[in-house]
Amino acid sequence: MTGGRSIALLLLAVIGATLFFWLVVHQVSALWLDVALRPEVGAALQQSMDDQKRLRALDAEHRDDYRARFENTQKLLHRLDVIRMNREGMLRRFEIILAGIFALAAAAVASSLAQRYRRAQALERRQYLDRVSVLQENARRHAHEMKGPLTAARMELERGEIESVHEELERLAKLSRQQASFAAIGKPVLRRDSLRAIVEEFCATFANAWPGVALRSGGGDATICADRDMLRQVLVNLCSNSAMAIDGEGSVTFTITRRALDVTDTGGGIPDSLRSSVFDPYVTTRRTGEGMGLGLSISRKIMLDHGGDLQLASTSTSGTTFRLTFGETECS
Amino acid sequence: MPVQPSFTTAPGRVVAVVLPASMLSDRDVQRQLASGLTTTFVLVARQREGNARGAARIEIRFDPWDEVWLVRRMGIDGREDKQRIATREALEKWWSAAVPVFSANSAHVALNVTLTVLPFSSAEGEDARRWIAADQGSPLVAALIGTTLDAKPIRSWRWQTEVDFK
Repeated sequence: MTGGRSIALLLLAVIGATLFFWLVVHQVSALWLDVALRPEVGAALQQSMDDQKRLRALDAEHRDDYRARFENTQKLLHRLDVIRMNREGMLRRFEIILAGIFALAAAAVASSLAQRYRRAQALERRQYLDRVSVLQENARRHAHEMKGPLTAARMELERGEIESVHEELERLAKLSRQQASFAAIGKPVLRRDSLRAIVEEFCATFANAWPGVALRSGGGDATICADRDMLRQVLVNLCSNSAMAIDGEGSVTFTITRRALDVTDTGGGIPDSLRSSVFDPYVTTRRTGEGMGLGLSISRKIMLDHGGDLQLASTSTSGTTFRLTFGETECS
Repeated sequence: MPVQPSFTTAPGRVVAVVLPASMLSDRDVQRQLASGLTTTFVLVARQREGNARGAARIEIRFDPWDEVWLVRRMGIDGREDKQRIATREALEKWWSAAVPVFSANSAHVALNVTLTVLPFSSAEGEDARRWIAADQGSPLVAALIGTTLDAKPIRSWRWQTEVDFK
């Protein structure tokens, strides 16, 4: 549907709704006015006036009171007469006012709907462009990642360096494995476990995996449902990124709070330009050949599959904290 | 039968209208007189050639408490005649008095005269407007609806006459 057509349809809807509203108001407003102007009301008031007149003859002492009541009733009767004589004009004005208010409100709603529709269209277009942009970046990175080893292998082959050709082919194989791991993230097999135990085991196992980076368990504990192997993969990815971000000596600290695990490094932080897209696939600050930018994407997918999430809690030039949260998922 | 007033002259080249008592028996007028509201008769005389005009006003209200007619008449001469009249006969007699309606500046005038009957006075209309305004929650709505309360004519007559001053 085009924007112009949708606005025209909305306008038609507003006009239709206003006419319908006017018809309803026409019925309802005539009703209340007619109730006030019923002949019985006038007759009752007239009867009351006649009664006051009769009472003055029977009770001369309170003549002034009766007169006051008589005049009040007469005034009311006169007002009703004046209104009766202007019934049509009053009704028309009342209906116009209400229909006008309704039309304004309907127009505001229609305008808001049209705006929302246009915004949704713009968002859809932007999302499409974003998706295309991601695919373009994906293709570009793939081409770059493969071009390096292929060029090197061809040159080594020309020189007869078979051993070097083998190394370049191994790099290509590694690339392929990375792609495959992203494409085939398995479903976690959840088991009740101690988060502290997982962290301490990880720290012990990977104590020397990243030279210059000390792994510290900050204490705390929580019982969670997790796939220990997949969780380890998440922690490896996070620590690999931290190791890249730490210039020289540094540390990664694991802190457990309730059903969350904060992973804090002492690296240089994440640039502003990347913060909103840090979990998108192929987003990386690494040079070509050093990684595809899939680690955080894979890690977040794993945590979402755990019923939890992985979020960037904070980042600055003195360090970054990622928070792993665990859901209430039932353990198998 | 068409109602036809008679036109007379008064000192100072004043044209006066004598309205027939049968007008008070007109169905619409009769009903309005019985309402207790102030029935207002507005007489306007326009010179056929020229812009000169004159007007007079007659107000009649029946007071059901005292069962008297409260009447008021104001002519072009600025004089006000205000009375309490006890009987219908006396009212008809009072009604049939000459009402000065036009002050001429020449010995001969040709006039278009209209008599319009309004169902209530401006004070009664204003009272009803105030009543509605006090009853309505929104002053804006009250004001918008209240302004529709007009004393629209319930009856009107139109005559032509030519008067010579001696």
